[in-house]
Amino acid sequence: MKIRRVIVALDPAPRHRALLEAAAEAAGRMEAELVGLFVENQDLLHFAALPFAREVGVASATRRPRDLESMERLLRALAKEAHEMLASIAGRAPVRWSFRVARGSPLVELLAAAEDADLVIANVEEPVELPPSLRLRIVRAGDLEALRAALEEEGGGIVLCAGADEASVRRLLRQLAAREES
Amino acid sequence: MQIKSGIGALRKMALNMSDSPMLPVRKLAASELCRACDEKNLPFRTTDELEDLAQVLGQGRAVDAIRFSVGMARDGYNLFAMGPEGIGRHTIVRRHLEEQAPRRETPPDWCYVFNFETPHKPRAIQLPAGKALKFRDDMERLVEDLRSAIPAAFESDEYRARQKEIATEFTERQEQGIGAIEERAKTQSIALVRTPGGFGFAPMHKDGVMSPEEYRKLPEAEQKRLEQVIGTLQEELEQVIHEAPKWRREGQRKLRELNRQVTRAAVNGLIEELKTAYRALPQVVEYLARVQEDVLDHAEVFRQPKDGEQPTLFGVPLPLPEGGESFLRRYQVNALIGHEAAGGAPIVYEDNPTHDNLVGRIEHIAQMGALVTDFTLIKAGSLHRANGGYLILDALKVLSQPFAWEALKRVLRSREIRIESLGQMLSLVSTVSLEPEPIPLDVKVVLVGQRLIYYLLHAHDPEFGELFKVVADFEEDMGREPGADLLFARLIATVARHEKLRAFDRAAVARVIEFGSRNAGDAEKLSVGLRDISDLMRESDYWAGTAARKVISAEDVQRAIDARVERSDRVRDRLQEEILRGRLLIDTAGSRAGQVNGLAVVQLGGFAFGVPHRITARVRLGAGKVVDIEREAELGGPIHSKGVLILSGCLSGRYAPNKPLSLAASLVFEQSYGGVEGDSASSAELYALLSALADAPLDQSLAVTGSVNQHGEVQAIGGVNEKIEGFFDVCRARGLTGGQGVLIPASNVRNLMLRRDVVEAVAAGKFSIYPVATMDQGMTLLTGVPAGERDALGRFPAGSVNFRVEQRLSEFADRSRAPQAGATGTKPRRRGHRA
Repeated sequence: MKIRRVIVALDPAPRHRALLEAAAEAAGRMEAELVGLFVENQDLLHFAALPFAREVGVASATRRPRDLESMERLLRALAKEAHEMLASIAGRAPVRWSFRVARGSPLVELLAAAEDADLVIANVEEPVELPPSLRLRIVRAGDLEALRAALEEEGGGIVLCAGADEASVRRLLRQLAAREES
Repeated sequence: MQIKSGIGALRKMALNMSDSPMLPVRKLAASELCRACDEKNLPFRTTDELEDLAQVLGQGRAVDAIRFSVGMARDGYNLFAMGPEGIGRHTIVRRHLEEQAPRRETPPDWCYVFNFETPHKPRAIQLPAGKALKFRDDMERLVEDLRSAIPAAFESDEYRARQKEIATEFTERQEQGIGAIEERAKTQSIALVRTPGGFGFAPMHKDGVMSPEEYRKLPEAEQKRLEQVIGTLQEELEQVIHEAPKWRREGQRKLRELNRQVTRAAVNGLIEELKTAYRALPQVVEYLARVQEDVLDHAEVFRQPKDGEQPTLFGVPLPLPEGGESFLRRYQVNALIGHEAAGGAPIVYEDNPTHDNLVGRIEHIAQMGALVTDFTLIKAGSLHRANGGYLILDALKVLSQPFAWEALKRVLRSREIRIESLGQMLSLVSTVSLEPEPIPLDVKVVLVGQRLIYYLLHAHDPEFGELFKVVADFEEDMGREPGADLLFARLIATVARHEKLRAFDRAAVARVIEFGSRNAGDAEKLSVGLRDISDLMRESDYWAGTAARKVISAEDVQRAIDARVERSDRVRDRLQEEILRGRLLIDTAGSRAGQVNGLAVVQLGGFAFGVPHRITARVRLGAGKVVDIEREAELGGPIHSKGVLILSGCLSGRYAPNKPLSLAASLVFEQSYGGVEGDSASSAELYALLSALADAPLDQSLAVTGSVNQHGEVQAIGGVNEKIEGFFDVCRARGLTGGQGVLIPASNVRNLMLRRDVVEAVAAGKFSIYPVATMDQGMTLLTGVPAGERDALGRFPAGSVNFRVEQRLSEFADRSRAPQAGATGTKPRRRGHRA
């Protein structure tokens, strides 16, 4: 199966940068299009809209109020950051690329986007429950055999779950790109 | 005729009174004018046949002092070698130290190492001689070995498995904590929402978070309840998050402990090996133990991070240990002082004794615009290098370097070297600096300097006497006893060989010895000014070379002496020319009252020469004062003034003692436009004064030198050779008449080492030197009239010079009293007005 479009779920945190770099490199080598997807989490917006919305900081362990406006601002800023990160990495790869912002549940949006993609790379925790209507195959990070098998099958996209083990995904992508090149 | 009979009478008297002031003056024989070196005392053909001279000539006192100071192993017995330049102080001191040094134990080596407790105070470690460099290399190798052994330990499967275990433990603990709350929330239909910055709680609706619209539809009581439940959950979550750093710290501690466990085997093996090698040195063993602990604590520094991959802990990037390389510097050893094991005690001469060069310094390197330093940048000073041995310094150089003298005294007093930078001491800079542990000091310092410096320091620096208890006072000359000539010849042979000069033949050696004696200004002494002697020898060698001779002859030595004079006698030539042209008035024939030829020595650079000066005296009735025109014009020095004041004392004591001295006299060095100092012209001034008083003309073909005391005795002066030659040169240029000569103090006869041409002229009867003991002898010679001696009644013989002087002074005294006697009660001025 020829991979023409790669969707990567964007998270602007610096530690995810390497994953994006690997995705851009693989897409470039496979001459596929790279689509960056940033999802504005609907749950977050709902949460922030509550009159008593409070956020407990991970580092500070303190409570602070959140309102809808500030949450939207924060998501916009993150989207912008993600866009810039994608632009700088993809520009260097080089690869054809585009950027997309969606609002809703991250998994739902990702899976929806996966409909018109051959490969989706996402930092999704397992297990993923898929609606049976979707023709998608889930491949766990590090499982080259499963990926190969998925690639053999025709039709539908492949979702590559990074989870906590991004390094394995990077390795896998490199192997995949090498295979596609040869 | 009259003179002759006078002298005959004097001779008769001399039989009775041997030390009579009227003893006739004999001319000196040519043989007395220069003590030639007897070639019979030199039993060799050339200096090649002579053995080297191991002993030091003529410096017995100084050599004993050096030996004493070197042998005296007590505090404060440092040495000050004093004496004039060119005597060979450095050479002699060094030679003695070199004799002594190999017999002494080689002092220990010193290293500076990192202080793991207080990094800004590097520790000093003492090692046996020759071990410092080895220790440094051993430590370097140890670090190299650790850099391969430690990463290998980290690569092991055991380590990786356990590291993962610890990381998982932490994550799980946190997840569990949060997960439990999430579960509890779920049971109450509350969702845990992960925001970009933390966590929040929101009521659930189906799978997702309840939208605001749905929330608003809820009854108010339900809304309140939800808010309360969420508040409680938030508190619980806060507590769990609070715990997280503690868990993380615990995880880090466990990881460190794991690192230690994993690396311990590798580190211990390597360091124990070194400890065994250095087990005899407890300081080193202790240091190695600290290194061991430190390496275990910082094992991760030895892991070379893979390119671009930052080491992380639980996904949190760890800060890179401040540049791995620079961190490892702390395990280096700064081998400050490394001796050769069998080298003996060191001898160090510090040519440029600045503060830093003496006590050492701490260098800085610029890093990101700031100056930083560490113990590896500590540099040794000459005191470190000389520690356990000897340090030679030039006193003047030490004193002229800012703070060097104070620093030297401080270390000698405290007996330890503490490195403090000047900038730090004066608070000029405030960069990061170190306080290296002081190193104990045991050094013998030899200061070499001029006598004046020693005396000044002794007088003005109270600590000096405490610290420099021994003085080696170098002589300028040695006695010319029998055998001395041969010793000196061996010295010449030694220098000739050392300097790779041609050999000197016997006559040449004799000439050099005579030069040495002339340099000493004494026929009974030899100058031991090695620099002058060596210079002359080198120059003689040059002239022998130009004459294509294989052996240096007396001719070459003489040529070297003459050429030296020629090179520097321009001023003397000009002065003599002025005399000959009649612009500087000097008579060398005829006779004149109140005028005499005095002699002065001019010292220009290294060259001294004599010049005759006309001294004149005028007298008249007055208040008993002899005016020294030089002093009035502030051209005369204090010693010269003293000489003139003595003349008044001499006059008033000798002549008309019962009458007041009613004389006004003036004395001057004619045509002298520079300063006059010294009292060597006081006898000449006295003769001029007496001649003016007695109106007795003085013989201008004679010149006079010598000082005089209140009793009229003529006393010794310096530079007698130059003075005689100065007058001789003028006389010879005008033509020697046979009557010309110089009066010198009798006590200066043994100083005569005159030039050959002078000696030859005297031998031929063309020039005379008269040794004079009293002013009467001098006056007799200069006037040709006996000076006269008081008879039984206390009167001078009529017609004698003294008689005439006394008569004149009495006359003055009588006249000065006469007008006062006739002017009782009347003021002289009014009476004068009336007249």
